[in-house]
Amino acid sequence: MPEIAIKATDAQLDAKYGLPKEVRFCTRCVMSNQRPASMPEFRHRPDRRGAKYLHIDAQGVCDACRYADKKEQIDWKIRESELLRLLDTHRCADGGYDCIVPGSGGKDSAYAAHLLKYKYGMHPLTVTWTPTLYTDYGWRNFRNWIEVGGFDNVTFKPNGRVHRLLTRLAIEHLLHPFQTFILGQKNLAPKMAARFGVPLIFYGESEAEYGNPIAETATSLRDASYYTMRNLEDVYLAGLPIPALMERHGLSLNDLSAYLPADGEALASSKIEVHYLGYYLKWTPQEAYYYAVEHTGFQARPFRTEGTYSKYNSIDDKIDDLHYYTTHIKFGLGRASYDASQEIRNKHLTREEGVALVRRFDGEVPERYVREVMGELGMKPEQFFELCDRFRSPHLWKREGGAWSLKHHVS
Amino acid sequence: MRRSSRPQVAIVDYGMGNLFSVKHACAYAGMEASTTSTAQELLAADAVILPGVGAFGDAMAMLARRDLVSVLRDIAASGKPLLGICLGLQLLMRESSEFGRHDGLGIIDGDVVRLEGGRDHGRAAKVPQVGWNRIHRRGAQAWTGSLLDGVPEDAYMYFVHSFYVRPVDPGLVVATTRYGPAEFCSGLRQGNVCAVQFHPERSGPDGLTIYRNLAARLPASMPEVQHA
Amino acid sequence: MTIRMIARLDIKGPNLVKGIHLEGLRVLGTPEQFAKAYYEQGADELLYMDVVASLYGRNSLLDIVARTSREIFIPLTVGGGLRTLEDIQQALRAGADKVALNTAAIRNPTLVQDATTRFGSSTIVVSIEAIRKPDGHYEAYTDNGREPTGVDAFAWARQAAELGAGELLITSIDREGTGEGFDLELTRRIAEAVPIPVIACGGAGTAQHVADVIVHGKADAVCMASLLHYHLIKQDGKKRRAGLEAEGNLEYLKSRRGFSKIQGTSFPAIKAFLGTQGMICRQPAGETVHA
Repeated sequence: MPEIAIKATDAQLDAKYGLPKEVRFCTRCVMSNQRPASMPEFRHRPDRRGAKYLHIDAQGVCDACRYADKKEQIDWKIRESELLRLLDTHRCADGGYDCIVPGSGGKDSAYAAHLLKYKYGMHPLTVTWTPTLYTDYGWRNFRNWIEVGGFDNVTFKPNGRVHRLLTRLAIEHLLHPFQTFILGQKNLAPKMAARFGVPLIFYGESEAEYGNPIAETATSLRDASYYTMRNLEDVYLAGLPIPALMERHGLSLNDLSAYLPADGEALASSKIEVHYLGYYLKWTPQEAYYYAVEHTGFQARPFRTEGTYSKYNSIDDKIDDLHYYTTHIKFGLGRASYDASQEIRNKHLTREEGVALVRRFDGEVPERYVREVMGELGMKPEQFFELCDRFRSPHLWKREGGAWSLKHHVS
Repeated sequence: MRRSSRPQVAIVDYGMGNLFSVKHACAYAGMEASTTSTAQELLAADAVILPGVGAFGDAMAMLARRDLVSVLRDIAASGKPLLGICLGLQLLMRESSEFGRHDGLGIIDGDVVRLEGGRDHGRAAKVPQVGWNRIHRRGAQAWTGSLLDGVPEDAYMYFVHSFYVRPVDPGLVVATTRYGPAEFCSGLRQGNVCAVQFHPERSGPDGLTIYRNLAARLPASMPEVQHA
Repeated sequence: MTIRMIARLDIKGPNLVKGIHLEGLRVLGTPEQFAKAYYEQGADELLYMDVVASLYGRNSLLDIVARTSREIFIPLTVGGGLRTLEDIQQALRAGADKVALNTAAIRNPTLVQDATTRFGSSTIVVSIEAIRKPDGHYEAYTDNGREPTGVDAFAWARQAAELGAGELLITSIDREGTGEGFDLELTRRIAEAVPIPVIACGGAGTAQHVADVIVHGKADAVCMASLLHYHLIKQDGKKRRAGLEAEGNLEYLKSRRGFSKIQGTSFPAIKAFLGTQGMICRQPAGETVHA
């Protein structure tokens, strides 16, 4: 039975992980100030030192909504011409690849890859880090992306034993079942770019659209600190420093290498650039869905994803449902909150509708896959739920009559 | 009594039927229509429409409960235009065999029997008939001067029914329709009483012609009468 | 006896929307514009579905039903979130001729019985939205294709007919919005199993698909959405974009793109094509076309 390294002092904090003690909801979308901004996952420590959270201004509007306003002012023709210039300087005529599109065949990577290849005449190499556990539709959509959409693909599958161990440790120390996937997916593309000698990488939307510091939206580039490291000593995986992983859990540096970011210096000299396509093209996630159905054989699932109302968002990994359940536990924000907020900003939903959806679906227990995922990781579902309870912050949760409930509901 | 300058049509409300579409069709054709179940208003109207959707026996019971049976007979006898639609056509008859034997209003001699299914143009003709079907004119002049005046011969109308009428006097039949093995009466006329098996308010422009014809035969604008 | 051609309008709030696999709420215009155009082009019936009614526990179609029934004089069926006899009553009062029941009926089949007793069989349409499972079974879904029920679509169809439903509206969730053709097996097996009319829905991409579902699917009526909508907006894009409120996913309309999966066509063209195949459809006023 692995140790559970939750420090006793954590339980004494009023608000865990440096979360803002006062809970505020955005008056435009349904996000709250408890939403964590992206941090490089390889710096993620159990106390979330240095973590930032969604900023809601004095008017009650969050940064993501402010950015959505700004988006309306953008001259997309100018942005597209910037894209064309960028692409022109990289486009290959000798039969090689000229850009890397990371993804798993979900609607966003399907859209990005297809546009780059068929509209803009580029020669993308798609790069995939496999989900922890493919769903049926996830696998089918991935295959269709390649077969119907028509792309070359390199797939990296990590060592199963290492992956299962690290994922389990991430759950135990961080209640973060998704960390290993994020680490793998975000770190893979720059490394592949270096190996293939293709310096241009395209992601879809910038996370800034969702609430990262608004300064990040001023550029098309993903900040290198997200995918490079300078010093192995700064790195934490599954909430543990590298030496602890190696000594306590018998992992070698080679075992861990797939989860480590590229070396900063080495990458700097390689001229690798990671761009967000969403900086250059107006990105409407729902339209990416239609596009993917139309062009790459994408299919939404025939059932609602647990915790939300959507059928096409992030449906390739069974562990996804657990991930959003843990965000609900840790931050009081489940999947419906994320999905609805994005759709409100895109004006597909009114705030009232968003609130109704959050009230109805947020925090739904992930019954569908929890047993299978836990079994895969060598854990029992009960352990997972026990851990969940320990990660509930007292400033968010109260216990009444044997049941947990949130202190604050969006309204 | 203040009289509106538009013709007044009373639609019999006996708790069954698509009153609102009938009302809207009347409005569209320039008539003022109201739904009512009181004898006084029915008798005062320029024309009466008897709509109906549902079972014959239930309908007669509802009419009886509202004391409308003799009122409708009086209206038929008064010479005022009376338009029966769908079940409303069937209720005019002497009797029906739907769910047992029931007496109708007896305004038209004849009975009501069940549509047979069978085949129709190579497909199963299911009962009830739900959908569009042609109405055929019985004789070149059969529709002239009637509510069907101006409706194209063999026009399509919308039907929803499981039963049809068999008037004893074939001379009353102005329109027939084929379904399955049968060719049944889809429209009849007895003086001021006109009734159709289909739903003219659901039959597009051709159906609306019937409402326009009704409007055309009603008293034109009346001067407004002011009371001191 | 004609085969009825029905236009299906999925509605969210003030907008007409069109998804794929009952997902996605891309706005294509306002329901009023489409309804009027289809009426004038010879639609035999209209079907209004409130696609988010179950999601939000509301039904907000009454206004648009009332407006429609003042100007459009063909049968109108209304569905989406109708849960009680009062809901049905309200829809009928607003001007609907028929109501379509799905979620509420599957959860509580006696509703079908009660509704047909109170309002008449011909008023009650039971809507079944089904997905084909890998083992060949068809499972019925509720809540706009979001909740599996474990109910076999064929068993439910038979039961609904026995409970007194006047018609069945059968939608293939796998096919709907894709333009790849109807699920012929689903339609045919139900049409052959029940004595009431069956309306096929989901997947029409060409007029040939419509012919196929009539001949091979044994449908008594055909319901179409994408096939008609994407064609209509091509003809009149500016008008479609005018008068839209800010709400909803308007990106597609603004972008003026096409949608390559759907060839798109209109009622007159479909009916003319079916005529050449020996199928009888109601022809527009003034024309008599003999089979």
